[in-house]
Amino acid sequence: MKKFMFLLMASMLFLSACGGFNLGENDSSGGDGSNEEGDSEETTASGSEEAEEGEKIVLDFWTYWGSEQRRPVIDKIIEDFNNSQDGIEVKHTYVPWGDIWTKNLAAIAAGDPPDVIINDINTVKLRAQEGQIEPITEYLDEETKNSFYDQMMEASTFEDEIYALPFNTDTQILFYNKDQFEEAGLDPGSPPSTWAEAEEYGNQLDIQENGDFERIGFYPLIGAGNDVWMVNALGENYITEDGEVNINTPPVQDTFEWILGQKEKYGENTITSINSQFENAQQDPFMSGKISMMVQNANYYVELRDFAQDMNFGVAPLPEKEEDSGHTSWGGGFVAEVPKGAKDPEASAEFIKYLTNHASQLYWAENNFDLVANEEASIAAAESDEFSDKGQEVYSLMIENMERTQLTPQPVVAPDYASTINPVFESIISEKTDVDEGLEKAQTELERIVENNK
Amino acid sequence: MNKKKENIYGYIFILPWIIGFLGLTLGPLLFSLAGSFTNYNVTSRMDFIGFENYSRMFAHDDLFWTSLYNTMYFVLFSVPLTTIAAILISTMMNQSIPGMRIFRTIYYLPAILSGVGVYLLWMQLLDPSTGLINQFLDIFGIEGPNWLFDAGWAKPSLIFMKLWSAGGSMLLYLAAMQGISKTLYEAAVMDGASRAQLFFKITLPMVSPIIFFDIVTSTIGSFQIFQEAYVMSADNAGAPENSLLFYNLYMWIKAFNVFDMGYAMAMSWILFIIVLLLTLLNFKLSKRWVHYEGD
Amino acid sequence: MYNNGKMKFWRAFNFVLLLAGSLFMIAPLFWMISISLKTMEEIYRGEFTFIPEDIQFSNFTDIFTVAPFGTYFINTAVITVIVVLANVFVNAYIAYGFAKIEFKGRGPLFIIVLSTMMLPGFITLIPQYVIFAKLGLVNTYYPLILPALFGSAFNIFLLRQFFKGVPNSMIEAAKMEGANHFQIFFKIALPMIKPALFTVAIFSFNGVWNDFLGPLLYLNDESLYTLQLGLQVFKEQSNTQWNYLMAGSLLVLLPVIVLFFFFQRYFIEGSNILGNTDEK
Repeated sequence: MKKFMFLLMASMLFLSACGGFNLGENDSSGGDGSNEEGDSEETTASGSEEAEEGEKIVLDFWTYWGSEQRRPVIDKIIEDFNNSQDGIEVKHTYVPWGDIWTKNLAAIAAGDPPDVIINDINTVKLRAQEGQIEPITEYLDEETKNSFYDQMMEASTFEDEIYALPFNTDTQILFYNKDQFEEAGLDPGSPPSTWAEAEEYGNQLDIQENGDFERIGFYPLIGAGNDVWMVNALGENYITEDGEVNINTPPVQDTFEWILGQKEKYGENTITSINSQFENAQQDPFMSGKISMMVQNANYYVELRDFAQDMNFGVAPLPEKEEDSGHTSWGGGFVAEVPKGAKDPEASAEFIKYLTNHASQLYWAENNFDLVANEEASIAAAESDEFSDKGQEVYSLMIENMERTQLTPQPVVAPDYASTINPVFESIISEKTDVDEGLEKAQTELERIVENNK
Repeated sequence: MNKKKENIYGYIFILPWIIGFLGLTLGPLLFSLAGSFTNYNVTSRMDFIGFENYSRMFAHDDLFWTSLYNTMYFVLFSVPLTTIAAILISTMMNQSIPGMRIFRTIYYLPAILSGVGVYLLWMQLLDPSTGLINQFLDIFGIEGPNWLFDAGWAKPSLIFMKLWSAGGSMLLYLAAMQGISKTLYEAAVMDGASRAQLFFKITLPMVSPIIFFDIVTSTIGSFQIFQEAYVMSADNAGAPENSLLFYNLYMWIKAFNVFDMGYAMAMSWILFIIVLLLTLLNFKLSKRWVHYEGD
Repeated sequence: MYNNGKMKFWRAFNFVLLLAGSLFMIAPLFWMISISLKTMEEIYRGEFTFIPEDIQFSNFTDIFTVAPFGTYFINTAVITVIVVLANVFVNAYIAYGFAKIEFKGRGPLFIIVLSTMMLPGFITLIPQYVIFAKLGLVNTYYPLILPALFGSAFNIFLLRQFFKGVPNSMIEAAKMEGANHFQIFFKIALPMIKPALFTVAIFSFNGVWNDFLGPLLYLNDESLYTLQLGLQVFKEQSNTQWNYLMAGSLLVLLPVIVLFFFFQRYFIEGSNILGNTDEK
């Protein structure tokens, strides 16, 4: 058993060695290990650090942009910011997608959050209500406030305070396969404009063999969820910010009837098979030509550009329910915000302003093709030489589409409505519940949730 | 040695655990118990609200019951099935067959292959049209189910996946089976025992402490199934039709999506009580069938 | 034991059964290998092929340009070695107390040990994080290592079950000869449960090597990151680089497989609980 004692001793040695090595790492990284103890007294806690670097404030900036496409772009923007002034030094840390916000929450609870973080735009209001974000209204001038798409700025505002600046967004558009249009005798230059047309074109594009669908012309729920079509039909979200519920209404009934009508044609298995392939993200039925039209996040263009070079495709706004009902689309996006308890919100806001200014946003747009939140920057990007003609075409459509794109911020009056409502919608789609009964149930349930939360 | 000395030795041996428990575990534990009587939201609010979380849970929250049902269903099937599978595999492994080391490695593989990547992989394997599993069934002319996309098949899909990783506890059984003296078997064979008798009369009783361990820990673990459902349900929230809304997943949604941490803490204590009672029952029953060689 | 013909039949039967089972066990691994060698174009096209049409061995080297996996490997190895050693020794020490010493309150205390497994981890995650933050230990490896020094319920329970197989008569005999519990623990009990110790080692190696939540929460500096954190760079928002993700996962997996393959003889063919056969 001497061996065991030896191993134990060795492990203890290791432990202390690694402790030393850790501390070393901390020192070089800008004092984030040293200001754990008192977040409000950061001047004393990281004092020695600052003295060395000449009164510089070191900001911790957390993003989930670690991929080889995005990382260099954000790092370049940060480098430019650090070189542009002497007061603030930003340190970028990549934290995995999704989990970044769990980590953020724990850090806020411990009083040691990052100084700036990229977060989901649709939950800004909820986080603001729960006291997880520092308001930044006072650090912003009118010009800054007005440089973003309105709906994004609105989503970043809660009870008249601005809690974040929008960074990027996305919007849903229709992608269609031009070659298959031609083959089916349709005009590749005129994509469907209404639901009825979409369905009709779909019928012409379908290819059936021995009763099985070899190709699906169009099915609304491939690429998009029923919520997108509900927003499209209603022109707004089915639950408003103050908790008005519009589920059991004629437009929503029409939506489900329309979806179910086409589902009947294709059958459960065909649809599940295609949808699961998207869900598992392992292959792409649009690229492989198994579907002719689908609604997708416009950024999907990048995947087509990179992985399906030969494909001849077109883009169009979402079809509208009936003529002049509006091609309303749905979008999401991300914001830069200052977590509650950050050491110097003013400095953080300074960096956020830089992150969302014209130059940074244009640079981001040109390199990642994201639709950026800074309106002018996005318009400039649409003409960028960095994009191909096709790229410019898609980007212009995204900008145009923003006029009719709705964001659906999680309503603070019913933050967790999705787990109650979605199963009802799923059960309507899988035909276990009929439309009227289901929508009535969803309507009452959601109203009850809103009532309970008020 | 006298009793007092034994007491002191006992506490000296478990001292590290006591320090860790008091220093790292007990605080958070009590904090979560206290938090369950508040509207704690992690960052800004913690007001005492009495038993409101608990009464809301039992009387007004259908999803609480849904998640409890889903979890019970999973535990009821996955624990016995994986335990039996693990015992059978280890019995087969506990012999000299050519390539045994490779076999053992292969069967242990699924236990090493853990984490999010594997769940994503399984989603592909279970894909209704292009997945390996349904392609395989297709060879025999069987049309496979829609697995994770069918509310009725989603839970069995997860149980199926768990069965695949039953090789993890194989290690334990093998370690225990190695300890069974060959002379026991030889003596039994002399007396004319059949293979089945050897298995039931010698092997099983001798590994019963490990079976017991396996059942207790996998019951506790299965009640806490979370990541599988989080990753493998299409909306990360229990789809289709809440069939994968397990207890811990619902608790997670409450705690980290809508920041109702007080409610989540109340839920966790209800789960705690359920699992504790089951474990105590397990211990009670164990006296009848678990055989400790040393005592 | 049995007559030769019957024995041969059973062995052959066993072999065939195990072989069939292996296919089921190993299929996902082949699938992983297949994806790791494909181009993204081929993956998106989605034809059902095991052998990629254009094999990309370069995927395995390309991933090193995206993230410093070499550093992550060293970091993960340091944490893993320490935690595994601590886990094996500390848990055995505690478990012996619960299994072989009759002290007052042993039963209830043991239930408390087990009960620490019963509360979902993420409920205590934030208060625990706050403790480590107050101690100033966030962004060091201490929060990942310290808990291992105090034992874990799963391992304590497991080793207790094995210690219980050590005959009381042997312990009594040793006491008669004047041995105290430390001597009995080191000289008699520990050697007898060697296979179990290696099992704990393998289990905890696997656990620490693949731990995600701990490093995620406690490490703020990318130079301290572990392999599991590093792998996440291939999985961003909606787009996943499947080929890189699988190539990376395979590389992460490799040490565990190799270790298991070569070390299994120590814990599976190691010693014997009753100590009457090939004790080494």
